[in-house]
Amino acid sequence: MKTIVEAKQIKKVYGAKGNVFSALEDIDLTVMEGEFVGIMGPSGAGKSTLLNILATIDEPTAGDIVVDGINLTKMNEERLSAFRRDKLGFLFQDYNLLDTLTVKENIILPLALAKLNVKELERRADEVADKFGIRDILNKYPYQISGGQKQRTAASRAIISKPNLILADEPTGALDSKSATDLLESLKDLNEQDKATILMVTHDAYAASYCNRVLFIKDGKIFTELVKGKRSRKEFFNKVLDVLSALGGGANDVI
Amino acid sequence: MFYPHWGVEQMTLFSLARKNIKGNFNNYFVYFVTLVFSMVIYYTFTSLQYSEKIQESIELSDTMSFMFGVSSIILILFVAIFILYSNSFFTRKRKKEVGLYAILGLRKKTIAKMLFYENLIMGIIAIVIGIILGTLLSKLFAMILIKLMGSIAEVDFGISILAITQTVIVFMVIILFTSVQGYRLIYRFTLIELFYDEKKGEQIPKVSLISAVIGVILLVVSYWLILKPFPDEFTTEYLMKNYGIAFVALVIGTHLFFRSVTVYLLRLSQKNKSRYYRGTRIIETSRLLFRIRGNARTFTVIALLSSATICFLGATYSGYYSNEKRAEEVVPFSYSHLSKGPEFDSQVERIIKADHRHPIKAQLDIPVIQVKGILSFQLDYDINPVQLISESTFNKAANALNKDETVLLSRNQAAVIQPRFTEYTKSVFKGENITIQLPQGSSELPFVHMVESNVLPFDYPDFFLVVSNEMFAEIAKKEAPLTYKVYEVENEVTAQATSKKVNKLVGNDFQVSSSFYTEYKQGKEGNAITLFIFGFLGLVFLAASGSIIYFKQLTEANEAKGQYEILRKIGVNKKDIRKSIKRQSLFVFGLPLTVGILHSCVALYFTSNFISNLIGINLIFPILMAIVFFVIIYAVYYVLTVNTYNRIVNK
Repeated sequence: MKTIVEAKQIKKVYGAKGNVFSALEDIDLTVMEGEFVGIMGPSGAGKSTLLNILATIDEPTAGDIVVDGINLTKMNEERLSAFRRDKLGFLFQDYNLLDTLTVKENIILPLALAKLNVKELERRADEVADKFGIRDILNKYPYQISGGQKQRTAASRAIISKPNLILADEPTGALDSKSATDLLESLKDLNEQDKATILMVTHDAYAASYCNRVLFIKDGKIFTELVKGKRSRKEFFNKVLDVLSALGGGANDVI
Repeated sequence: MFYPHWGVEQMTLFSLARKNIKGNFNNYFVYFVTLVFSMVIYYTFTSLQYSEKIQESIELSDTMSFMFGVSSIILILFVAIFILYSNSFFTRKRKKEVGLYAILGLRKKTIAKMLFYENLIMGIIAIVIGIILGTLLSKLFAMILIKLMGSIAEVDFGISILAITQTVIVFMVIILFTSVQGYRLIYRFTLIELFYDEKKGEQIPKVSLISAVIGVILLVVSYWLILKPFPDEFTTEYLMKNYGIAFVALVIGTHLFFRSVTVYLLRLSQKNKSRYYRGTRIIETSRLLFRIRGNARTFTVIALLSSATICFLGATYSGYYSNEKRAEEVVPFSYSHLSKGPEFDSQVERIIKADHRHPIKAQLDIPVIQVKGILSFQLDYDINPVQLISESTFNKAANALNKDETVLLSRNQAAVIQPRFTEYTKSVFKGENITIQLPQGSSELPFVHMVESNVLPFDYPDFFLVVSNEMFAEIAKKEAPLTYKVYEVENEVTAQATSKKVNKLVGNDFQVSSSFYTEYKQGKEGNAITLFIFGFLGLVFLAASGSIIYFKQLTEANEAKGQYEILRKIGVNKKDIRKSIKRQSLFVFGLPLTVGILHSCVALYFTSNFISNLIGINLIFPILMAIVFFVIIYAVYYVLTVNTYNRIVNK
């Protein structure tokens, strides 16, 4: 199996002299192709910092990151942008849809930016829209649809360019439980059927229970790791809860 | 955001307001700069108005005083609108802060008073700074004006008490008004409205084909009305009816154009998928589409303002530019006077000959016979007395003036010189004749020519008839001609001293001056002042319309920050975002400017028809200059906007 993400000794330090805050300390992380990995931890543990660094939105203070065989630390801004466009898919808590574009236009945006030809672009748009069941809202604008529909739109956009890695930052954070479950089911299908590699930051144990593997971070360091293995989702959920209570502090907001 | 200092009972409202300003000077800066800018402009204008030199010309000319009157009203209106606009822009930004005060338990009345004082303090400081800067600036403008007028004449723009008083009064009224607006702010809105004001999302505009079509029709109609050739009879009623309708159609049409036609066109451009779904075009087009409704009114005002400015600037610059030609037409020779006996004539000649810096190029006598004449057709011009000159005299004079017009007539033929300030063409006289009444009986002369070279200074009625040498000699036997002495000198545009002496000696032989220099100089000064006023107003409008777009774009940039962040995350690089901002701003600046230039070209076509018929010159160059000037200033604003926008969203 191929290694998709290989991060070594990642450090992230904020602030200047005298007032230094270390957000990440020597984090090592490996994600294999086809994995669905969750990252959990209390607020301020450094989950989002880690995700942002993997997403190339933020730069590590030290350490090496290799995604799909490409070393990110050696790339300039322009190449990083192209890398994000071609290799990564994003899913955020606040959807990050462009208000001025229709659902369809939002979805195809990464392909339009990559200047793909129109026929191929339309075909793929229909394909992902079917997958997430949003075909009938394709011509609506974000202000006209619900939160769940928005997140499914964002998910469609995240996968349309067939990225090597999908990064999700609290994707269920703003959704009601029904919409959250729908989205998680879709992500699971994506992972199982299309072999998509997903890395998801969450502080919701229910969401984490959909992963194959969950990493727990505390104070910028990896605290422990939990693998689902042959367990049922229900069992895995309870396991996650156990670790969370051991972790303590700010991670008690379970459903 | 500013958090007031709680628990300090003795803190007066006045000092709270003062601290507020000090505490967020950045927030206030833009508003403050607007205030100062408006004041500087207004003060400079009034101080010019009250300067002696301009007062003189105002007293001399009705047009001048009318123009100054209208200009200062426009300026007051404009300054007021500009300040109110930026005040509401500023208030909108502060609604949340005001809401916070209310939530923290400050009484409505206290907040209202605080806002009132705050605005008042800023206004008063702006007045002081505005007047100081205005005084400095008016010196600069004075120098420009002197340069334009081409004289070393004293133009005093010192500190004018009258101008200060007027500026202070006008601005205190405006500032009091905005202060009251501020006072009322907290009463006008509920708390929830104060907090959630910016949440109102804009919606995608619907395509309205009907209003797009009406917009296009109105524009076409107004263009057609403006470009329509002049009717034979030019009445005020026609003027009002034709151009009044054209104006209204133009205003409404322009608004509909921005409101609906652009929406329609943008929508159409979205239909072409292979173009639309390529690169960042999808983002720009959709952003523009969303913002167009909110921008339509601003675009309309700016397009109309710029076209008016280009028109005035073009027309006045044409006047300035063409002054020498006009002066040459009105006073063809350097000096002209009626012969009043050998002694007088030689006295004039001595004065002219004494000026070694302006040697005489040509000197001749122009005998003129005044007779009564009747035309064979109706002409709305009073032709009597008809001035007869001989063929050879005309040819000699035209030659001396370097005009390549000659007249060849057989015994009974006549040529007419086009009366100045009229638009008669050759065809008017073709095939017609004139009957001149002589003591020896009347004789009928057919018109064979119309020439355009004038030989004597303008005097109404300006109807010169060139007749054959034989005919002239014959008439002269019965009717003694008047003899005019004319001189053409080198470098006549600088002959100031001699012209003064000649004018004094000759007196009023003509309605206009008897020396070219005086006519030229007067025209230049008058035109310089007109050009200056309109140039000044143009600059104000230009700066203001540029600033309005600039501010609007910056507000938009602040609102769109998040959207651009998303784009960065999706993988658009900084270069492409900058390119996208450029394209978007180009549209926002280019559209109203293009429409404005188009409008002004149409309007200028009309005015230049009007003017060039009067003075017979080509106005393309000055009009082009005005447009180029306008485009350059806009380009500066464009670059400024792109850079700031980019800095806000693309760090």
